[in-house]
Amino acid sequence: MTIHLAEGPTPVRRNPARWNLDLQKGRLPIRYGFSVVCVAVALGAALTSQYYGFRGVELAAFDLAIVVITWYARAGPSALAVVLSSACFNYFFTEPLYTFEVSREDLPYFFLFAGSATIIAWFVAVRRRIENDLRDARDHLQLEVEQRKRREDEILKLNNELVKRARELETSNNELESFAYSVSHDLRAPLRHVVGYSELLQKQASTLLDEKSRRFIHTILESAKRMGNLIDDLLAFSRIGRAETKNAVVSLDQLVKEVVAEIGRDARGRDIVWKIHPLPVCYGDRSMLRLVIFNLLSNAVKFTRVRTQAEIEISCVDQENEVEVSVRDNGAGFDMQYVDKLFGVFQRLHLPEEFEGTGIGLATVRRIIHRHGGEVRAQGGVDQGATLYFSLPKAQDAAERTANTL
Amino acid sequence: MSELARILLVEDDPRDVELTMTALGEYNLANEVVIARDGEKALDYLYCRGEFSARSNDNPAVMLLDLKLPKVDGLQVLQQIRSDERLKLVPVVVLTSSREEKDMVRSYKLGVNAYVVKPVDFHEFVNAIKELGVFWAVINEPPPGSVKKAP
Repeated sequence: MTIHLAEGPTPVRRNPARWNLDLQKGRLPIRYGFSVVCVAVALGAALTSQYYGFRGVELAAFDLAIVVITWYARAGPSALAVVLSSACFNYFFTEPLYTFEVSREDLPYFFLFAGSATIIAWFVAVRRRIENDLRDARDHLQLEVEQRKRREDEILKLNNELVKRARELETSNNELESFAYSVSHDLRAPLRHVVGYSELLQKQASTLLDEKSRRFIHTILESAKRMGNLIDDLLAFSRIGRAETKNAVVSLDQLVKEVVAEIGRDARGRDIVWKIHPLPVCYGDRSMLRLVIFNLLSNAVKFTRVRTQAEIEISCVDQENEVEVSVRDNGAGFDMQYVDKLFGVFQRLHLPEEFEGTGIGLATVRRIIHRHGGEVRAQGGVDQGATLYFSLPKAQDAAERTANTL
Repeated sequence: MSELARILLVEDDPRDVELTMTALGEYNLANEVVIARDGEKALDYLYCRGEFSARSNDNPAVMLLDLKLPKVDGLQVLQQIRSDERLKLVPVVVLTSSREEKDMVRSYKLGVNAYVVKPVDFHEFVNAIKELGVFWAVINEPPPGSVKKAP
């Protein structure tokens, strides 16, 4: 017997194994009827061959019938077949003929037949069972293969979708880039002309103009310059989102030292007390992290201008997977009610005549820290100073986290 | 406008042309300038063809090149002259609004001599143009085959 591995529904139907499976699943009368019919056919064949003078065929015929019945109709009908064929054998083929009596000398012969028939039935049944197990295993495998194929198809589909999405993203990124490019190029030119011609006008007509007109021109110039700064800041901000990060191990201690020295030069004449606690080593883009520190510290310096003595404290809290650095100052502070606006682009919480700036600094900080897989937050109160926090993944597990967020 | 000059200004925006000329005028360099309003005109000038077919074929002492130009853009002009044996020595200064690193890198890769971002502030702009004009047209000794300084 061979197990036919079906490849599709049509070959399965033609498969004899499937056909006998149908029979096995059939109702009891059909299976027992099949048993009776088979024994009858075997008996008929045996009698016919006996009639034509072939002797000794009956045993083979009945055994064959038992095999077929066990094969196709399982245990119950095959037991019936053994009984029936024993009876038939006894009745038609052992002396005395046409009685169910068994003569003494034929008794071992009869038992031999009954025994061999039982053994055959048993063998066939065992084989049958093995075959069933194999078929079940095959069906199971087939199901698994189908499921796997379905899953593979699904993965493939998702993958295609991902590729499509990536392409769309790339397109929109390119569009954004060309947008930023034309902003950079085209928006600056008219601005330069506004400034240029206003300056020329101022120069040309300064003697003819009264005080008010001169102030107007001055305002035009100031506004144009301010717009220039806004455009530059916006471009720098968009560049941070597009630029590739070059990650390396960065010593925050060193960065803070550099930035404090740089800011200190600009803030000469101010009384600033720097309290700098030891800071850890981080993993990230050095120039971007430097910009973060620069923006935070120059903010602190800017907003402590209202104090005779400014205090700026930089410290850090070591957490399990990340470090949180904080910059605390005793400056003008802010109302916690508007803390959500603090990190927004061009969001300012102070009037321009109080503190200068375009309102891009903390937005840049947030964008850089997010790109590094960290978080930003702030705490403060009006006239009570502000504390700005940013967290960065620790150097050891930073590589994978940034890989996930970039 | 003289057809033979030490400075070739390639600039499409008339206002930028005027502001640049004003700045150069302060150092009496305005009559040393030939203006090409697009990349094609610039190449016509350099190759002495079209409306410039009659000029003697000395190269300018410096070319001030904007990047964003109609027809042939600045980088294409740069690429063209750097691949030409006769023109490849012409000093080229890119003078552009673009602060994009991409433009800067491409310009330097194509062998630009200087890259100047036009400052928004007018004083800075004037100073930048003046310094460029003085340096390249007066102080710097241009390669052989360039227009000679007026006696």
